[in-house]
Amino acid sequence: MSRNFTPEQTLIDRLAADDTTAFEELSRRYCYSLYTYCMSKLNSSEDAKRIVRNIFIALWEDRQSLPIDFSISLHLYTEVRKSVVQCVNNKLNKDADISVIEDGVIPGFNVAELQKAKQPVKFDDSNTSNGQHSALRTIRVEEQWWNRYNPSISLKGLKHALQNMLNLW
Amino acid sequence: MTTESLRKKTGRYLSGQSVPAEKRQIQNWLSCTNDKKTEISEKERELIENEIVAQINAYVVSSQFVPRQEPWWKKITAFF
Repeated sequence: MSRNFTPEQTLIDRLAADDTTAFEELSRRYCYSLYTYCMSKLNSSEDAKRIVRNIFIALWEDRQSLPIDFSISLHLYTEVRKSVVQCVNNKLNKDADISVIEDGVIPGFNVAELQKAKQPVKFDDSNTSNGQHSALRTIRVEEQWWNRYNPSISLKGLKHALQNMLNLW
Repeated sequence: MTTESLRKKTGRYLSGQSVPAEKRQIQNWLSCTNDKKTEISEKERELIENEIVAQINAYVVSSQFVPRQEPWWKKITAFF
């Protein structure tokens, strides 16, 4: 299928009308990012593929009852997180998979690892084809045009000046 | 953290009975995304994407052959 630039809302509207092409386009747009997320959390390609497939199958099944203000990115974000936790819980209930969880998942719950979630997202400059984006990103706060103007009189000074004027008058 | 405590925590999280600290801990873990980066080629990526999409498409096509039973309220609205 050829990729297109149809807006998401149009694709969602067409999905509600049982359009399989629109559904395929939506699944192509998101499946790989969901897969990499699941892989980073579970270290299992099979589990990641199964989770992504089930999320999209559930979306197809519920296509008739989507709300008017439906956001597919928000829906997928919520569903993938829920599915990852569900998968971890299922693995912990099986004795065979406990060693996988001990090696791959438990270290992620260290305090030092969890602190990373509070840090801002770092952009990888090597992914940008030219340095334009990275150059734009490195503009300092002082260099922004709205921060260049330094008023010669402060609010405090203005208040004093007005008070003196009123006293004289 | 032990596997047993993680099992209990995830179980409570899924059933909506976890305390705020547990919920925050699991959500923080879910939000940590930049710790492991896997480098794969464009071709491998396409293969994975095609495999997942093919599985989804197979389900979609098969579901169209099996007629879904319409709910009672749809039958009534269609009647009027």
